[in-house]
Amino acid sequence: MTDATASGPVRVGERSLLGKLEGSVSWILLGLVGLLLPLLDDSYIGVIAQRAYIYWILSAGLNLVVGYAGQIAIGWVSMLTLGAYTTAALTAGTATDPWHPYLALIAGGVIGAAAGVIVGLPALRLRTFYFAMTTLGFATIVTQVALAWKSVTGGGVGTPGPVFPWPFDPGWGFYYFCFILAALATWMTANIASSRFGRALVAIRDAEVAAEASGIAKPRLLIAVFLFAGALGGVAGGLFASLQSYITPDAFTFEISVLFFIAILIGGRGSILGPALGTIILTALPEFAAPLVQWSTFLYAALLLVIVLVIPGGIADLLDYKNRRPLEQHREIVPRPDLLGRVLGGDGRSRGKSTIALRDIELHFGGVRAIDGLDLEVRSGEVHGLIGPNGSGKTTTLNVISGYYRPNAGQMTLDGAELPFALPHARAGYRISRTFQTPRLVGAASVLENVMIGGTVHGHGTFTESILALPRHRRDERHLKAAALQALATVGLESLAQVRADRLQHSELRFIEIARALMLKPAFLLLDEPAAGLSAEEIRRLGNLIKASSREGVGVLLVEHHADLIFDICDRVTVLNLGKTLAAGTPNEIRSHREVVSAYLGA
Amino acid sequence: MPTSAPNPMVEPLLKISGLSAGYGKIGVLNGIDLTVGAGEIVALLGPNGAGKSTLLKAISGLLPRTGTITFGGQDMSKTGPREAVNAGLVHVVEGHRVFTQLSVHDNVMLAGYGMKGSELGTRVGEALRFFPEIAEKRNDRAVTLSGGQQQMLAVAQGLVRRPRLLMLDEPSAGLSPVLVDRVLAAAAQLRDAGTAVLLVEQLIEKALKLADRVYALARGSIVLEARTNEDDLPNRLEHAYFGQDVSAPLAS
Amino acid sequence: MFASIVSYGLAVGAVYALIGITYNVMFSASRVFSFTAGMLGMLGGVLGALFITEWGLPTIVGLVLVLACGAVLGIVTEIVTVRPVLKSIDQHLYVLSTLAFALMIQQLTAIWWGTDARPFPRLIPIGPGWLDQQFWLPMLACAVTIVGLELLYRKTLIGRAFLAIAEDAYAARALGLPETGLRMASYALAGMIGALAGFSGAEILLAFFGNQAILNFYGFVPVALGGMGSNRGAVIGGLALGVFQQAANFLVGGIFAAVAVFAVFIVVLLLRPEGLAGAATARRV
Repeated sequence: MTDATASGPVRVGERSLLGKLEGSVSWILLGLVGLLLPLLDDSYIGVIAQRAYIYWILSAGLNLVVGYAGQIAIGWVSMLTLGAYTTAALTAGTATDPWHPYLALIAGGVIGAAAGVIVGLPALRLRTFYFAMTTLGFATIVTQVALAWKSVTGGGVGTPGPVFPWPFDPGWGFYYFCFILAALATWMTANIASSRFGRALVAIRDAEVAAEASGIAKPRLLIAVFLFAGALGGVAGGLFASLQSYITPDAFTFEISVLFFIAILIGGRGSILGPALGTIILTALPEFAAPLVQWSTFLYAALLLVIVLVIPGGIADLLDYKNRRPLEQHREIVPRPDLLGRVLGGDGRSRGKSTIALRDIELHFGGVRAIDGLDLEVRSGEVHGLIGPNGSGKTTTLNVISGYYRPNAGQMTLDGAELPFALPHARAGYRISRTFQTPRLVGAASVLENVMIGGTVHGHGTFTESILALPRHRRDERHLKAAALQALATVGLESLAQVRADRLQHSELRFIEIARALMLKPAFLLLDEPAAGLSAEEIRRLGNLIKASSREGVGVLLVEHHADLIFDICDRVTVLNLGKTLAAGTPNEIRSHREVVSAYLGA
Repeated sequence: MPTSAPNPMVEPLLKISGLSAGYGKIGVLNGIDLTVGAGEIVALLGPNGAGKSTLLKAISGLLPRTGTITFGGQDMSKTGPREAVNAGLVHVVEGHRVFTQLSVHDNVMLAGYGMKGSELGTRVGEALRFFPEIAEKRNDRAVTLSGGQQQMLAVAQGLVRRPRLLMLDEPSAGLSPVLVDRVLAAAAQLRDAGTAVLLVEQLIEKALKLADRVYALARGSIVLEARTNEDDLPNRLEHAYFGQDVSAPLAS
Repeated sequence: MFASIVSYGLAVGAVYALIGITYNVMFSASRVFSFTAGMLGMLGGVLGALFITEWGLPTIVGLVLVLACGAVLGIVTEIVTVRPVLKSIDQHLYVLSTLAFALMIQQLTAIWWGTDARPFPRLIPIGPGWLDQQFWLPMLACAVTIVGLELLYRKTLIGRAFLAIAEDAYAARALGLPETGLRMASYALAGMIGALAGFSGAEILLAFFGNQAILNFYGFVPVALGGMGSNRGAVIGGLALGVFQQAANFLVGGIFAAVAVFAVFIVVLLLRPEGLAGAATARRV
């Protein structure tokens, strides 16, 4: 038994180390080419390379916004514009006394960061297209202002770009400056991407409600990312102004935004190497196809259309050989309830008793009373079944407890203290976790990463610490990974840890959701039809697992259609009808309850 | 009662075999076999989540499915809802989803979209005649109707094409008992006029009273097929619903 | 000066309103916001100048050709950029596919028509002042469009089918309505409205490939503020936006006008994401 748990993590560890090496080789090669490029002593190639580095500094940050967080920020070229004009104007002294170019570059980054947040704010509340349009509008407005504010920007005539003094003076000095900053941007974004913040971003992109249930606060995280991506864009702008040596509003065409986008999409969402290669290739390509220069934007746009329609997953998906390997056909899920104690931490008896209590809860949708004066108690160490016909308010009740709906009346308490309404991401702090009727998982992430998302709130390091890969960040990662493997072993799926979640069968997804919920070391576990779509044998194993977790002190609320599962494992059952309690009691009492039978049979 | 016994010698109006369907990865139906004879009312019963609505959607082509569907001798395994409607297989979906911003008359007219003007006018009048209480309100917007009237409107929409088979998905949901009887009476009237009805219903007693035959669906499979005049049907249904031994249908 | 601010503002505002209606018509049919709205407006001006000034066609023939081109582009938009991504609408790939298509057309225009703004012919030589075509033509186009749409929705079966699909596409499909055909028809209609917007406003905005981005944004502002799908909101919002912009341009300068519009846009959307007139929709878990 101990063998199985000990050997599992080790095997997995080796495989991912190999994966890391494969990735590193490409980066080392790229780095060497970059370092040694000056030996060619070809200034034309040098300029192209500098432009590629500058574009990559911007797209590295944008990659987090677009590729990871899934926010379609199509007008990010505005950060380049802002950074360029800020650096140029401060250096030239058109608005203030002239600044030192390096200080002006930093100011460009700061302005970019501020603009990133301003443009990003709507993403916290608005639908995708609105956000896309906001960024596009911002880009349009920035250009209009650059044209109109003649005293500072020189209007349509333009303004000279900054010249950086030694050690990064024009020529190869500036080349290395761009190179170093590009390498730094790569390193920092890679750190974020592989941290709990990176996984949280992807979760927001592909499984937003599950992210909230795991305690991920979307606003704070997105603002941090917009800040970071805006700063990188601003710095890229300052460098761009220097490279161009003279900037006009024409230099910042929308075409550049499209280029960034294609680079990210073609490279593949959720990859860093892909978009980096994409940026380099797209920057260099037009230089070697001179007759096509006037067609370049058209071709970029056509390429974008083709990518979106034909390979929305990008090249990274096409090259993902590891995930083409066929999986074993007849897989079995064999949960190990005996491991629950370790996953949940400590032994069951040492955990305190606690109770979630709902009193007189009412919830209306328009004129419909979805919940109509409901009392309910979920106690630790018990499995509480919630059954009833369609539309009787079962899932709605679960959504009230987990904070998705705000009831119109009533009280909800946890051990006597008020449990605030409508704050889904705050539930993780109370160690209340849940699963969903349709599994909400990140299909493009590995099973392991999906489960790790459930433990996001247990990390201690800050966003900045993750950017710089400081010790606390590394410790968080180690702990989360170990805990996730443990949780996977508990539900019986550790052999699939490295597989992309969207390759799994439906029943496996249900168990992964439970593993993710266990990552929170929950005091309460809310399960929304966990048996739907499972085979009879799987339902039996699921029942044992649920039962065992309640014996470890977890309070379980089980919403289910499968009457037999309810009657098998529940300590208490509440039957809802039309938003009210029709009956409550032990399974045996309910089974013989005439009204319940008729509510189910409609007789 | 008109003759509604399915004659084994005659090919049934609707014949489904090995039908499977679901939502994305979630398989809901596994290998359903089912027939509906011409002019027959068949009730489709089953507990929540058994897949009743899914089955209707799979038949009408609102959901992708595998298996074979023959309707009136025509293969309809691959067709969409438009072809089904044109062939006379009409599906009145769950939840009286009428177009609230349009008038009652326009709602019914849309159901005959593509038919000739004069013909359409006749058919609209004919469909509304089934439900005098909404015919009176033909110029009011559907948003002003009560839930029961909206359900009647939805059924009226289903009648415009003079279907050979009308599939009704929980026509009684959210209606008062009186209205339920009104809507179900319309189904009986239709059968008398020669239209077959496939009825998904929660109110078992009413459904059994109305129907000629019944199928019970549980966990995505047909667990019972019977004529409504057979003995001990309620008990057998209850047994099928609660599935005393879970492992039976899905043991494989 | 007041008169010129108002007349000029209302004229530009009418163009924004028409672009807003273009967004709405496409949205109602498919739940897709398409970046081709601004492109259609831009092309309305460019094609009008091409047919009437360059080719010397009679005005009415030129207008009909412009509308026909708009309809064809609308249909192409539907087939190429919308239909393929409708299945996975939650991924919002339409944002990119419509943007890419619009940019391709914009670049073709830049290459064949040139990147300089060219004048648009004066079609009806009356004026100057209030009677000048450049002021009343957009308003007239806007009025004609609204009346036309109203007649379409109230008097014809296809118009009702548009409304039905906009309200509940699933129910419409179950009824056997030809969803795809109706969607294509909606896009053709949107194409004509967008092209008409550009044609009617081109004497002010000129025949210029760069109008695309400006119309895309300023045409969307009234939709966002007025609530999507609401043509009344688009018209009121568009006219108000046009007048506000002109007033700010004259009184405090272009920088302020641009920044102010953007600031109002963001602030209103943050406070009321459903728009000033729209209704909130419940979230689904």
